[in-house]
Amino acid sequence: MFEFVETPIRPLQQSEQLSRGTVSQQHAARPVLATPTSRKYNGLIQGFLESAERFPCRDALVVDNTNFSYRGLRDRAAAIAQTILDQESDSFPLAAVLASRSATAYASVLGILGAGRGYVPLNPKFPVERTRKMLILSGCRVLVAGREALGQLRRLLSEIDWALTVILPDLTDAAELRAGLPKHRFVSSQEMLQGESFSFKTEVNSSAIAYLLFTSGTTGEPKGVPIHHSNVRPYIQYTSSRYEVNERDRFSQQFDLTFDLSVHDMFVCWERGACLFCVPEKSVMLPAKFIRDCELTMWFSVPSVAALLSKMHLLQPHCFPSLRFSLFCGEPLAAAHARQWQEAAPDSAVENLYGPTETTIAISHYRWNPSKSPPECLNGIVPIGSVFPGQQFRIVHHEGSRSGAVGELCLAGPQVTDGYWNNPEATRRQFVRFPETGETSWYRTGDLVKRGETGGLQYLGRIDQQVKIRGYRVELQEIEVVLRKASGAEQVAVVPCPVADGGVDGLVAFLCGASDPDDLHILNRCRQALPDYMVPRNIYRLEEMPLNDNGKIDRKKLLRQLEGA
Amino acid sequence: MPMSEAQLVDLVINWVRSNHRPGNSPNGDLSPDTDLIASGMLDSFGFIDLIVFIESQSGCRIDLTDVDPSEFCIVKGLCRISLKDRQN
Repeated sequence: MFEFVETPIRPLQQSEQLSRGTVSQQHAARPVLATPTSRKYNGLIQGFLESAERFPCRDALVVDNTNFSYRGLRDRAAAIAQTILDQESDSFPLAAVLASRSATAYASVLGILGAGRGYVPLNPKFPVERTRKMLILSGCRVLVAGREALGQLRRLLSEIDWALTVILPDLTDAAELRAGLPKHRFVSSQEMLQGESFSFKTEVNSSAIAYLLFTSGTTGEPKGVPIHHSNVRPYIQYTSSRYEVNERDRFSQQFDLTFDLSVHDMFVCWERGACLFCVPEKSVMLPAKFIRDCELTMWFSVPSVAALLSKMHLLQPHCFPSLRFSLFCGEPLAAAHARQWQEAAPDSAVENLYGPTETTIAISHYRWNPSKSPPECLNGIVPIGSVFPGQQFRIVHHEGSRSGAVGELCLAGPQVTDGYWNNPEATRRQFVRFPETGETSWYRTGDLVKRGETGGLQYLGRIDQQVKIRGYRVELQEIEVVLRKASGAEQVAVVPCPVADGGVDGLVAFLCGASDPDDLHILNRCRQALPDYMVPRNIYRLEEMPLNDNGKIDRKKLLRQLEGA
Repeated sequence: MPMSEAQLVDLVINWVRSNHRPGNSPNGDLSPDTDLIASGMLDSFGFIDLIVFIESQSGCRIDLTDVDPSEFCIVKGLCRISLKDRQN
């Protein structure tokens, strides 16, 4: 199971062309660029629509104590889908949704998919500047905005150069927006079509994009990761079977839509007619009462939630009796928290999932076993376990290292996407071929792993400066670009601090030669460009930045300085 | 002499003034009715730090098991819960 998977997977969904760009000599790998083909495929929405046929009156969604049946949610989605197709006749493959934790947010995701487009989730909690950047990079012509985003539309749209169609299911009168932003077309709820007889587009080209997410990028720009229907359907099918999902299940929906783990919540749940419980913003931090009150059977969150509950003494034995499965993903899971969660949810299987966005939600799993797992943990961290059946992995060792040593995890298979959105340079860097595996495209994760004694993969860290904060992927260089601009500093370094149980709780910044003397001012400017979790907690000013033997900033020394502070 | 709710509210407000998230200046906006999370003054980790601070001041453990988040995120709600637990 843990050996390199030799069984051939089906050919890549895309025809490929070789690039003559950068080649990693160290890995003797060739980069991959892809162009689409046109095989037909069942889209991501298929499972929801089948459940809506089978269980029209069962609850599909609960938001703010309001229940929405499968039929009701499908009707809302149909109205949005019909309106998109009525307003936009061009074939641009994506439409954006700016909404969060509302019925409109979920209906918009389904409506966009039902219109045959991929959805691009934008987060009303992110700074407008960043949301605008994502919208521009996506190139979307259609935006569906929920009530929670209305207050920022003016700022967001005033600097968009092209004419957008903005659908507003929660606003009855869009006259004010129309007058203020004449370049764009606004469709209020009263002007939307009803979609009674709408026929959802369920069959898509295999190359069609299901969703486009943005992750932190090293250059200072967010990086778009397109996930195709052909990537995500295998995930949904495998996990809904593995977790024996049925219509009586009650799923948590803890993640923001901009986090790809939300795709699991929604579509694994709806695949089998289960009900999705949107965790209110205020319960996201400490959801213990919510889990009990809603009698959830399926839990999925980042491990930080378990850490916070543990710290607040809210992970008491048997406190979550309704849970059948508890899944954690997005950052290292501490063995102590897995053990505590298992005791809190004795009838639940506890699993640690692992997977970069590029490999679709998660691609490996490890099931916690109270008696066998503790000795399998390395540095108190739960292994990431075995790669899903049908997916492939290999550990690429550095020159001179022996088999079994630490190496970079590379992944291939139906779940792995084929490159970044309009970013051939990043694609060339991360998607490669190896001579011995022919035309298979491999994604270089940048994660360092090794095989444990029982064969499962163990996560050891990164080969670069990427960190995970509450599951969010953060490239420290992206923050440094913003900080350099905000402070006028000659040299900037951002380091993770504090770090506990293998997880990063926050960031601090070091500046050298900054022209702006006001830390608060600098941090305020950062907040305008970066989401909260990327803004450093503190700024330290140095006369001189410590350098290592290679003349690079010595981050380890900076961390030691912090520890000594 | 047990701490009064008003004294604890003052302590909490002073703590938040010194420990709020960068860029979210609470000057003038911070009151007993402030929602510490919705206002963006504290993130989840900052909130936990605040709980630890209150526990260290009162010497008692705060039990949030059955408390609604809309209550414990408000300054005075959190203080009330803290003192209630001390009385029990």
